[in-house]
Amino acid sequence: MTPEPNPPVLRFLDLHKSFGERCLFRIPELSIHPRTCLLLKGRNGAGKSTLMKILAGLEAPDGGLVESGGERRPWHAARQLCRSQAIYVHQQPYLFDRSVEANVAYGLEQAGWPRRRIRATVGEALEWAGLSHLAGRNARTLSGGEKQRVTLTRARVLQPRLLLLDEPTASMDRAARDQTQALVRRLRDEGMGILISSHELQEMTPLADLILTLEEGRLRQEDDTPPKIRAVPPHPAMATALA
Amino acid sequence: MESLGEAATRALALLFSGDAALWAIIGISLKVSLQAILYATPPGLMLAFLLAHGRFPGRRALISTFNTLLAVPAVVVGLSVYMALSRNGPLGDLRLLFTQEAMIIGQFLLAFPILVAMGHAAIQGADRRAWETALTLGAPPWRAMLTLMHELRFGLLATVLAAFGRIIAEVGSSMMVGGNILNVTRNIPTAIALETSKGEFAQGIALGLVLLLMALVLNFTLGVFQGKGELRA
Repeated sequence: MTPEPNPPVLRFLDLHKSFGERCLFRIPELSIHPRTCLLLKGRNGAGKSTLMKILAGLEAPDGGLVESGGERRPWHAARQLCRSQAIYVHQQPYLFDRSVEANVAYGLEQAGWPRRRIRATVGEALEWAGLSHLAGRNARTLSGGEKQRVTLTRARVLQPRLLLLDEPTASMDRAARDQTQALVRRLRDEGMGILISSHELQEMTPLADLILTLEEGRLRQEDDTPPKIRAVPPHPAMATALA
Repeated sequence: MESLGEAATRALALLFSGDAALWAIIGISLKVSLQAILYATPPGLMLAFLLAHGRFPGRRALISTFNTLLAVPAVVVGLSVYMALSRNGPLGDLRLLFTQEAMIIGQFLLAFPILVAMGHAAIQGADRRAWETALTLGAPPWRAMLTLMHELRFGLLATVLAAFGRIIAEVGSSMMVGGNILNVTRNIPTAIALETSKGEFAQGIALGLVLLLMALVLNFTLGVFQGKGELRA
């Protein structure tokens, strides 16, 4: 059998979640591939954030399977795998009450990196994001755009294979939105699989390789996918992105 | 009987003369209450965290129990500890009655419900994103818990100071299980009670002033930390 040319980071099968009687969603299959950006649409309350948290291993579904490296297991057995592969960023990114530098270093400290290596990596990452001048500032005192950039930098140093961004440019001015989009594009080009939920379809469309809609509990490919997106030759593995 | 003014003047003189007996009482008070709060804080806050983030049977009943225990009078705690430590009690063999250790146990039991109930309220009200962010950045749950507590440090410090304020000023438990023995178990509140019953108001007032000063320092410290927290929120 020919191996997939661009196998998904993670493939989720039959993910379903209900709140009481109400079925929030049931998704037969969702695959997220490296170097690919998916845009997730849906009205408020459709379950976009819940879905993203489930993909990140932060919230439990009622059921579902996770496939990685050819191995398939129940979500509850794969929660740690999801956490190790994916980073979820909230709509209003949360920054710890400490300096920008310490925020970016947080995940590396948890991974047990030596202090000297952390300092070098964080310094390089802050430079990458154009945040070196803010290294010593308390992260809580930054503007919305700066906070989002710190959040992306904090994720980047951990080199996750999957980045889940919940409304990353909500309530941002034009300049901050452009800077955030530029960083997201660079992260995708570096090889990350990215899933972005957004209301601002027009703003985020240039980033998207595929647009998905979560509606009435079902995930489907956007019918009116803009021509630009359609013009992108679909990756062979993308065929499995949706059921 | 001396007038209030004379007693207050003598009290100030006593304080500033470095009266050994007076300062020994203050020292015992601080030693006992600081140890009690030191032992009670880690398990109290840990339980508060479990009650806020855990989902297990009996959780709500436990929360209600600790909220109720906030209102338990110190003498009732003293009575319970006395019965447990008295010769015929289950812990009588430890021979702890009328020692500083017995006072620490009593004050631990008084501080613990405050730490759990107030700590639970602080953690329950915390921003859930802090917890999720720590987890998604690779922190194991226990490290995420420490991160969350660091984020809530001003609120939790207020909890610890409130518990300390309660035990440094309680008289019921210390009197019953400590026995008010000079230079051993006599602390500020029990000394005030004794001196007042003897008509020795000067020492009582002097010790009362020390307690007031401590309350002032605690409140001032709390205000400073809360102010810092508000600035960054």
